[in-house]
Amino acid sequence: MDPRKLVCILVAVAWPALAADPFVDAAAQSGLDFVHFNGMSGEMYFPEMMGQGGALFDYDNDGDLDAYFVQGSVLGTGKPVVPAPRGRLYRNDSLRFVDVTESSGLDARDYGMGVATGDIDNDGWVDLYLTNYGANRMYRNNGDGTFADVTQRTGTGDPRWSVSASFFDMDRDGWLDLYVVNYVDWSVEKNPKCFAASSRRDYCGPADFPPLPHTLYRNRGDGTFADVSARSGIARQPGPGLGVIAFDADRDGWTDVYVANDGAPSFLWMNQRDGTFRDDALLAGAAVNRRGQAEAGMGVDAGDFDADGDEDIFVTHLSGETNTLYVNDGTGMFEDRSTETGAALGSLPFTSFGTSWIDYDNDGWLDLFITSGAVRIQESRTGDPFPLAQTDQLYRNAGGRLEEVPGVFKTPGVGRGAAFGDVDNDGDMDILVLYNNGPARLLLNQVGGQQSWIGVDGGIPGEPGVQVEVLRPGAPALWRRSHTDGSYASASDPRVLVGLGDKPLSAVRIHRPGGKVEEWRGLPAGRYVIRKER
Amino acid sequence: MKTLSLLSLLSLLSLQSLTAQTTGQPPGVQPIPAPSLEGLEPEVAAQLRDARALIDVLTAPAEVAEAYGELGRLYHTYSLSEAAAAAYANAALLAPKDFRWHYYAGYLAQAMGRSAEAEVSYEKALELQPGFVPGWIHLAEVLLAGNHPDDAERILKQVLGSDPRNAAARAGLGEIALSRRQFREAAEHLEAALAAAPEADRLHHPLALAYRGLGDMERARDHLAKAGRVGVRPADPLIEELAQLRQGEMAHLLRGRVAFRFGRFADAAAEFRKAVEARPASVPARINLGAALVQTGDRRGAVEQFQEALKLAPDNGTAHYNLALLLAQDGYEADAVKHLEEAVRIEPRDGAAHLELAQALERTGKSAMALIHYEKAAGLLPQDERAWMGEANLLVGSQRFREARDVLETAQGNLPGSGRIVHGLARLLAAAPDPALRDGKRALELALQVHAARGTATHIETVALALAESGRCDEAAEWQGKAIEAARQEGPPERVPPMEKELARYTAGAPCRPGG
Repeated sequence: MDPRKLVCILVAVAWPALAADPFVDAAAQSGLDFVHFNGMSGEMYFPEMMGQGGALFDYDNDGDLDAYFVQGSVLGTGKPVVPAPRGRLYRNDSLRFVDVTESSGLDARDYGMGVATGDIDNDGWVDLYLTNYGANRMYRNNGDGTFADVTQRTGTGDPRWSVSASFFDMDRDGWLDLYVVNYVDWSVEKNPKCFAASSRRDYCGPADFPPLPHTLYRNRGDGTFADVSARSGIARQPGPGLGVIAFDADRDGWTDVYVANDGAPSFLWMNQRDGTFRDDALLAGAAVNRRGQAEAGMGVDAGDFDADGDEDIFVTHLSGETNTLYVNDGTGMFEDRSTETGAALGSLPFTSFGTSWIDYDNDGWLDLFITSGAVRIQESRTGDPFPLAQTDQLYRNAGGRLEEVPGVFKTPGVGRGAAFGDVDNDGDMDILVLYNNGPARLLLNQVGGQQSWIGVDGGIPGEPGVQVEVLRPGAPALWRRSHTDGSYASASDPRVLVGLGDKPLSAVRIHRPGGKVEEWRGLPAGRYVIRKER
Repeated sequence: MKTLSLLSLLSLLSLQSLTAQTTGQPPGVQPIPAPSLEGLEPEVAAQLRDARALIDVLTAPAEVAEAYGELGRLYHTYSLSEAAAAAYANAALLAPKDFRWHYYAGYLAQAMGRSAEAEVSYEKALELQPGFVPGWIHLAEVLLAGNHPDDAERILKQVLGSDPRNAAARAGLGEIALSRRQFREAAEHLEAALAAAPEADRLHHPLALAYRGLGDMERARDHLAKAGRVGVRPADPLIEELAQLRQGEMAHLLRGRVAFRFGRFADAAAEFRKAVEARPASVPARINLGAALVQTGDRRGAVEQFQEALKLAPDNGTAHYNLALLLAQDGYEADAVKHLEEAVRIEPRDGAAHLELAQALERTGKSAMALIHYEKAAGLLPQDERAWMGEANLLVGSQRFREARDVLETAQGNLPGSGRIVHGLARLLAAAPDPALRDGKRALELALQVHAARGTATHIETVALALAESGRCDEAAEWQGKAIEAARQEGPPERVPPMEKELARYTAGAPCRPGG
């Protein structure tokens, strides 16, 4: 280890795993009392069904993850709710969450959809971007517990219906750029009546509206962003986008962007290294499933599930379609291997949204968490007070074969967003799950801490894209990437947490997007290593 | 195949007997969930109510079985799946030798993601009727979804043995080969499937991936370009019967939209007309009927339907828009403008309506208003070349060259592959009356780009203009000569003299800048 570059800080392990269930909902006991409000009016307004996300991020730089919850509102001429619903910020004080919205300066009363996090000005404090049905908002973290609305100044207030967004460095200039995924051109005025197969009035789907082009903002590094959607090629291709993940699909050192479109072929924007992108999803085999069907892409994540050193794409879909796993051959070419890997099995009845590759049991293999909830009438459940609710799912990765772990989640909900991170800093992955029109859950992991692990904290909130390679003797290297995007409309912990299984740790290599590699040896397992550049 | 007409049976029964209760259902018969009928179309609710009531008045086991089966089919048709599954189960219990109820139960379970149940039901159905090919195809699909490719392959090969041109079997075998990375075999099967069912254009996608696997990227790209949304559908009379059970306005609208999408406009119009009959006040039914009538050539009928829709819903932007298009085509421009103005008032974000309005206004000489709507259309439809070109042309026409150039620059950013936009920009950069707007080098680059794609006299002349603007008079003269030659061939002859005049200027040597 080079002492000029690194400071290692040992973080105490606080929450021993005792329970039999792999996850325990600790929202109520930890003070997370957020309840989402979708403003359901009976008019079947499309956005009512599509929210919402949340974020796990350390806004006060005190070493633990705080939480932000996106809130809905009332659309149309509905009776206003008093007080007006607003997004809420909770500070984590040793796993006791305190609502600090009032003092934070965050005043998000729009019809919220999602959230993205990143340090837009490289001041070491993570900033917040909120996507809305309506103009989006950028909030700068002042570093003193408050945020300032810098939407106007940054020029990032895309007025269209946006759902997910991703901060990533498109041009490797050290400043975070922003990809905003827009959905469809729906409005209260343009709200046609749609019907279920039974002839009952139902919510419309994306095919009933024109898809929107997406937006790419380049960070000028002076506190403002330039809208480069047209110049980059992004705006040329409208798509009903919902989920987004930025990662290096072809391992050329430049970050690419994958967008899950709802009912239309997904995009794989390959970075051309000159400020432009080209959608190669079709030829790359990641636009539609093996049979050529465009599916209803909702949530998305990329991760090296088969431990071969490249990242594979997992996309969640509507009921009646399977979730899809596109396996990367290492060159940015993909194959739909959903059936062979087990990813498809058990997914057909679910409309799934938030998801992530997480190694929940720290055995060294990336598992899958998926939250689900229907978007349209479930005819068999008319009369049920929660007719859209579905149960979340956990798939365990048994050496490249995904197997659903039965009975882990028992309480159904209308799952939408999910944010992932080690909330209690005990070395395993916890999950914040956001439910449409329902209370959020904080799923604390009870089993991961039983296995050995190593954590890498970038220490620089604005540096996603860093690849962490963990070397273990006699076992394949484990590749993980620091990122906050992916899932659905949500932002996650940028720290990289790597389960080591029963293998000892020999070295950790850090690969930066520019090609620079650092190697650390002699690190103790069971700790977060905080990496700070001088 | 035996079918029971519900209506004829019902007509034999009195109202009293409909509400009578039977006693002593056979053992094992399960209660059928009663889905809520609230919010359903009245015809649909009545249809379901009657079919359910029928069970209670029948006593002969064969008839009760048939009634359960019919009830299952109705629930299935309207996606009331749990009730459908229970009804099929009762039908199969009471008539275990009737393969239909096992088959429908399998099809339903497959759609619900209950693969194990689907497999069992299909197997029972096929034991009873082994010659029913769609059943084997669906069983193979279930096995494939459950990651049992070997079993699926065996079944599909058996199907091919008796029907070598079966497109669904070929497609399934292609998919299996693709999953095994046996790309050559996959390509062979998928090519054969496409030959048997050329309308199944979705198959081009897996075929492209097979060629990609073989390293033939050119063929892969070629097939990707042809890939569409239509998959292979095995001819399946039992499943087709389900769609015919639907009643009410929505059923006809649904069938009509499917027919319209596949270009069967007369069928679509017939279905939409039935939807209007089912609910004369239905605005969507009238608008759809109007759209289908246009396609069948009945323009007068279409106008009537759109006018009727507007009587029912004066603020329906789609009806205004559709009516305006017909009026404009028939030369009633002023009326068309009126309806389009209504359309954009009702839906200010309707880019297509703004574009049509701009074009109609331009045709009637109202350029200033047209410009406003072209600008809005370009903002709303950034991928529509017509909006950008309309705006740029009107700006040029009103001598607002700098704005025209800016519009074309933005348009080119959005549509770099548009020859018209690139050509318009090249022309402006080469020959704008304001020399400050010119950029000969860039004009030449753009003009050559367009010329490479399309070399008409106009495009050649633009290269000459760009060369002249760059001070390369000899080359400009050479290109202008070629342009004149091309113009003589293309006609009309009156194009040529002004071009010759320009050639003389180029030949005279520097300075030869356009307009100089």
